[in-house]
Parts: sequence; structure tokens; C-alpha cells
Amino acid sequence: MGKLVEMHIPNVLGSEKAAIGKAVSVAQEMGFSDDRVEDLKTALAEACINAIEHGNKFADNSKVGITLASFDNSLEVTVHDEGDGIDPEKIPKERTGPNGFPIRRGYGMFLIKNLVNEMSFECKPGKGNNVKMILHLENKPAGVMKENESRSDNERGTI
Amino acid sequence: MSKDINVSTSQANDVVFIDIQGDITAVTGEVVKEAYGADNVTNSSMILLRFAKDCYINSGGLAFLIDIASEGRKKGQKISATGLSEHFQKIFHMVGLTRCISLFATEEEAMNNF
Repeated sequence: MGKLVEMHIPNVLGSEKAAIGKAVSVAQEMGFSDDRVEDLKTALAEACINAIEHGNKFADNSKVGITLASFDNSLEVTVHDEGDGIDPEKIPKERTGPNGFPIRRGYGMFLIKNLVNEMSFECKPGKGNNVKMILHLENKPAGVMKENESRSDNERGTI
Repeated sequence: MSKDINVSTSQANDVVFIDIQGDITAVTGEVVKEAYGADNVTNSSMILLRFAKDCYINSGGLAFLIDIASEGRKKGQKISATGLSEHFQKIFHMVGLTRCISLFATEEEAMNNF
């Protein structure tokens, strides 16, 4: 593994922007293309919003944890909340109503699934929820994130 | 007006413009919907959403745009949009918004297609 960044954001809508800024820096440093960075921004934003809204249910004293782990050919992003757990069966699967028109809400998980290469959702009742997202680094530019580079360059913080 | 969004409306002949700058989210999306609800907008048959290039839209904001598209379809309005980044054009396609909001690269193209 290359760089590991761990951070926490307050459980307030809008606070995800700080985490997004950090994720963008890491992704750009790894050599992700601009369009993949945009995908990452939206996927991470939606995961954080879900954590704040559905996981932590807007509780003031809760936090959202974000971990960015860079590997040679991928970036793994994990978003953790402290909620009671979400029933995966309750996550909307249908995206259109009977009239073929898009339904109004529930696009968070849908967007994440469609914007990252791999996505998994782990629900631990009493211990919160984890959303893990992996973006593959394609056409890695030469000289970017060479092996052993930043191996000990880990960061932790609260935003 | 929310500090994260700036929305204004104007009109040229039969086309109403809704100019949107900033973040469209669950918190600020109501501002866009209010603009759409103004008498001159909601009664117009042609509406052009002009997004600033750096507009940010999340799933909460998409919900309000879906509301507008849904109402527009019921009223038989033609709604187009311009200015969206390639990323958010892709998002519009993903969620199916392009079935009711036509996307154009330039305002001129959008106007020619009303």
C-alpha cells in the first residue's frame, strides 16, 4: 500500500467538501484523469451524505470517518458512520416509476455504484456502516506513485 | 437567497431563462424550485436552465431538478439545459433526466431547438 489518509468530518451536510478536497489531492497525485476525479468527488460526496443523513441520522455528536488508501493501481475509499445500521433491503433498487419517469430520491447508492469500479456496503448493527469504494487507475502515467513512494506517508486528522 | 447558490430568472420572447450558479443540494435545491414556481416561469412553454460551468449537483439537488422536469412534462413545457460540465451531463443521463431535459453544448444550440 502507498499512502494512507484517515480523517473525520462533523456530521453536518456540507462538511463532506473538506474530505472531497483531500481525496482530489490524493487522486490527482496518483495520476487519475480529470473525469475519474470528478467521479470520485461525486461518489465520495454521496457516501458522506448517506452517512450523515441515513447512518448517523443528523446526530450532532456523531462523526463520519473517511479513509483513503492508495495502492499501485487503485484508490480505496472507505466511509464509516456510527449509526445503528442500514437495512440494505431498504435501499431503493428501482430508479424509475411506473410511468418510466425517474423517481425523486435515493440516487446516492445508485450513483456510487455507477461511478466507481467496485463498491461494497457493510452494515454492523451497533457498530455503524462502512461503504467501501475502489477506483482503478487506468493508463497510469509513468513516474506517478512509484513503488515505495510515500510508503510511510500516512496522515490522520479531523476536519 | 442561500449563500451556496445564486438563481435568477429572465425572459426573451417566449423563452424563460433560469440562471443557476453554485451548489444544488437538498438544502439549496428549494431555491431553484422556487424560481421555477414563479408565475412567468411556470406558465412558460419553453424554459432554458443555464448552469454555470462550476455548478455542483448532488443527489439531493437532483431530486429538485426531477421535480421540475416532472412538473414541466405534466404541463407540456419544453425544458432544455446548457452549461453543465461533462461530468454532470453524464449524471443527468444516468438518472434519466435527459428523457425530459434536453442538454445542449451552447445556448445558441438550445435556442435553435426550441
